[in-house]
Amino acid sequence: MKKLFAILCLFFAFFSLKLQAQTYNTLWIPDTLSGTTFNLAMKDTFAQILPGNQTITGGINGKLWGPTLFINKGDTVHMNVQNNLNDSTTLHWHGMHLPAVMDGGPHQVIPPGTLWQPYWKVTNDAATYWYHPHLHETTQEQITKGLGGLIIVRDNIESALPLPRTYSVDDIPLVLTDRDISTTNQFTVVPYGDSMMVNGTLRPQYTIPAQVVRLRILNGAIERSYNLGFSDNRTFYVITSDGGLLNAPVALTRYLLHAGERIEILVNCTGQSGTNVFLKAYNSTLTQQIPGGDAFPNGPFQNYLQRSDFNILRLNIGNQTSNSITTIPTTLTTVNTIPATNANVTRFVTISDTNIVGIPGAAFLLNHKLFDINYNNYNVPLNNTEIWQITNSGNFGHPFHIHDVEFNIISASGAAPAAAQAGWKDVVFVPANSTVKFIAKFEDYADSLHPFMFHCHIALHEDEGMMGQFIVTGNNTTGISEITNEESRFSLYPNPANEKLFVKLKEEFEGIYYLRLTNAIGRTILMLPRPQIENGIDISTLKPGVYFVQITDEKTLKTTTQKFIKQ
Amino acid sequence: MIFLKRVVLLLLFLACCFTNIFASGGKNNYKSTLGDTIEDFSLQNVDGNFISLASYPEAKGFIIVFTCNHCPFAKLYSDRFNSIAKKYGALNVPLLAINPMDTIVYEDESFVGMQEKAKLAAFTFPYLQDNLQSVAKDFNADHTPHAFVIWKESNQWIIKYTGAIDDNGAEGEKVKNHYLTNAVDDLLASNKVHEPETRSIGCAVFYRK
Repeated sequence: MKKLFAILCLFFAFFSLKLQAQTYNTLWIPDTLSGTTFNLAMKDTFAQILPGNQTITGGINGKLWGPTLFINKGDTVHMNVQNNLNDSTTLHWHGMHLPAVMDGGPHQVIPPGTLWQPYWKVTNDAATYWYHPHLHETTQEQITKGLGGLIIVRDNIESALPLPRTYSVDDIPLVLTDRDISTTNQFTVVPYGDSMMVNGTLRPQYTIPAQVVRLRILNGAIERSYNLGFSDNRTFYVITSDGGLLNAPVALTRYLLHAGERIEILVNCTGQSGTNVFLKAYNSTLTQQIPGGDAFPNGPFQNYLQRSDFNILRLNIGNQTSNSITTIPTTLTTVNTIPATNANVTRFVTISDTNIVGIPGAAFLLNHKLFDINYNNYNVPLNNTEIWQITNSGNFGHPFHIHDVEFNIISASGAAPAAAQAGWKDVVFVPANSTVKFIAKFEDYADSLHPFMFHCHIALHEDEGMMGQFIVTGNNTTGISEITNEESRFSLYPNPANEKLFVKLKEEFEGIYYLRLTNAIGRTILMLPRPQIENGIDISTLKPGVYFVQITDEKTLKTTTQKFIKQ
Repeated sequence: MIFLKRVVLLLLFLACCFTNIFASGGKNNYKSTLGDTIEDFSLQNVDGNFISLASYPEAKGFIIVFTCNHCPFAKLYSDRFNSIAKKYGALNVPLLAINPMDTIVYEDESFVGMQEKAKLAAFTFPYLQDNLQSVAKDFNADHTPHAFVIWKESNQWIIKYTGAIDDNGAEGEKVKNHYLTNAVDDLLASNKVHEPETRSIGCAVFYRK
C-alpha cells in the first residue's frame, strides 16, 4: 500500500511538472498613453512573476516596464518624468532626434523625488522607438529591474498605408528580454538570463487574428541577440528598420536582432484560424563572436539559453477580424538615403578588447579608452554630414548605438547593407574583426554644454565604459557653465508666492537654458531644460518654506540663483 | 542543485565583475555581519523619546527590522510587524523598527513622515530614526525591509539572524518559511538557528558617503 502511494505520488509529481512545463501565460500588453503631454512616474515596486515571493521590480506608472507612448510626427511632446525610485536615474528617448539637454543621457541625472520636464518637436518618421534609463554604471541594473517603455511614432506616410495598426489586436508590441531569476524570485543583474520573457511575461502565448498581423519587436535584452524565425519556417516581411519604414517589405525567414534594435514585421496568418505557431530564437547557429552565441561551460556568462534554439512566444491564431488586412503591401515609402558624397568628414571609431589594470575580465573600449564623463570625443559642427567608420579589431561583436541621429549604413564588412537594414537605423551590429560605415546628418540641435552619446548597447559593456560622447557645435558655443557671484540676471515674482511663480529676465537675456528649483536643504524639486514658462511655474504643490531658483542663461551659459518663499 | 550552482556562479560573478559598479553607485555592498557584536545605540522614537537596547533590561534578544515609509515592499509587512512584536515582546524579545533612509534625499522619510506612518499603520513597537545611518551601517542593512535577530551572550549582543522576514511579501497567507520568527523560536528554545542567513529583498538602502 505504501509502495503504491509512493508510486502515485511520483506519478502526480511528474505529471504536475510536465503540466507546468507546458503551461503558457497570456502575454501582457503594456498600457498606452497618447496626446502631447505624458506623465511618467518611475518607481520601485514589485510584481508577481512566479508563484511565491514577489519580484522586486522597477515600473513606470505600473509594476514592470512602462506604458507605450503614441506620438505624432510634427507634434511637440512634453514629458513629466517623476523619479520616485530609490536612486538617481535618467530617461533616454532612444532613437529620437531632439536637443541634447532633453535626451536623457548620463548627463541629465534626475535625483530621487525630482520632476524632470523635457520636451521636443517630433521629427522622427513613423516606427517603433523606446525609452529607458541611461545613468552611467547603473543602466544595466535599472533596465534589469524592468524600467523602460515603447514609443510608437505615427506620421502621414505610414498612416496612409494598408498596414495593421490596431494596438494589441493586429499590431502587437513584443519586448524581448531574458532574465536570471534567483531562488528567492529576484532578478539578478547578469548579462544573460536563463528565462526568456516577452513584455515581462514568462512562457507567453497570445491569440492573434487570422490575417496579416504586425509585430513590433524590440530587443530589450541586456546582451543577447535573437535570431528570429517561426517554428514552421514561414516567411515574414520586415517593414521597418530602427527609425522608419523600408522602401518595401523584405521577405525573410530569419532576422538577427541585436540589443537596442527594433524591427516591425508582418506575418500573414490568413486562413490559419485554429492553428498555432511559435516565434523562436534560432540561436544555435550563432557563433562565439555573437552575443548569445558565446557558449561557456561555466562562469558568469554561462546560461541555459546560450547558443540554443528556444521559444519566444506561442501565437494562437484565432478568428479573422472585420476590416482586416489580408495582403502584404508591395511598397512602403521612399527612403532618401544620404549620398556618401555629401559627407564633410569621416570619423574613425575603433572597438578593441583589452585588459586594463583594475578592470576585471576583458574590458571593451572605444578608441582605446574607457568612458570619461568629462572627456568629449568629438566636436560635430551643426549641419555636418558625417561618415562614421567603426572598426572592430576585437573578438566579439557589438551593437553600436549613436544618439541624436538616424543613420544609413553604407557598408558592413565591405558589403552593401542587407535590404532589411537599408533604411534608417540607430543601432548597427559591428561583427568581430570587421568594419561598418554609416552616414548621418547632425541637424537642428547644437549645444555646447550637453553632449550626445555613442556606445555599445550591451548595457554591461556600456556601464563598464564602452561609451563616448560628442558635442554638436553651433550657435551656442560660448563655453562652460559656471555658477557666478554676479548679480542675478533675473528676478522672481510674486515673492512670497503661493500658486504660480514668474521669472522676469533682464533684457540682454536670450532665454533660459536650464532652470533648477531646489529647496532649502538642496533637494532638487524641478529640472526644467529650456523651460517655456511664460505662464509661470506651478508651485501649488510645494510645501511652505524657502526655495531657490537657479537659472542658466542661454546666451552666456552663466548660472545665477534667486530665492523665494512659498507661503 | 542546479539552482545552487547558479547562485554560486552569480555570487562569484557579482564579486568579480560588479564590485566597481556597486561601489561607485554609493550602494552598500552585501557583507554578512552574522556573528558580529552590536554596540548599544540610542535613537529617537516617533513618540519623541530616545530608545536604546539598555532600555529593555529584561530582554533576551531583539528583533531589529530596518524599514521605511515609502518602499512598497516594506509597506507589505506593517501588520506582520505588529503581530510579531506582540507575540515576541511578551517573551522578552522586543521588536524595534529602524528607519535608515537618507532624509535629505527622500522627503517621505522625514521624522514627521515616520510619525504619520506609525500612526497610520498603528505600530505597536518603537519606530526609530537612524538619521546618521550609523546603526544601519553597524548591522550592514542593505534593504528595507531587512530583519536581524540579536541575542544576549556574556552581556554582549550578537547577530544571530540576518535577512528576510519570510518568503512572501504580498501574500502573507502563502508564506512557507517564517525565517525571522523561526530564528527567534530556535533561540528561545536554546537551539542553534537552523537558517541563520537569507537574502533580504526590497528597496536598496543608499548610504551617504
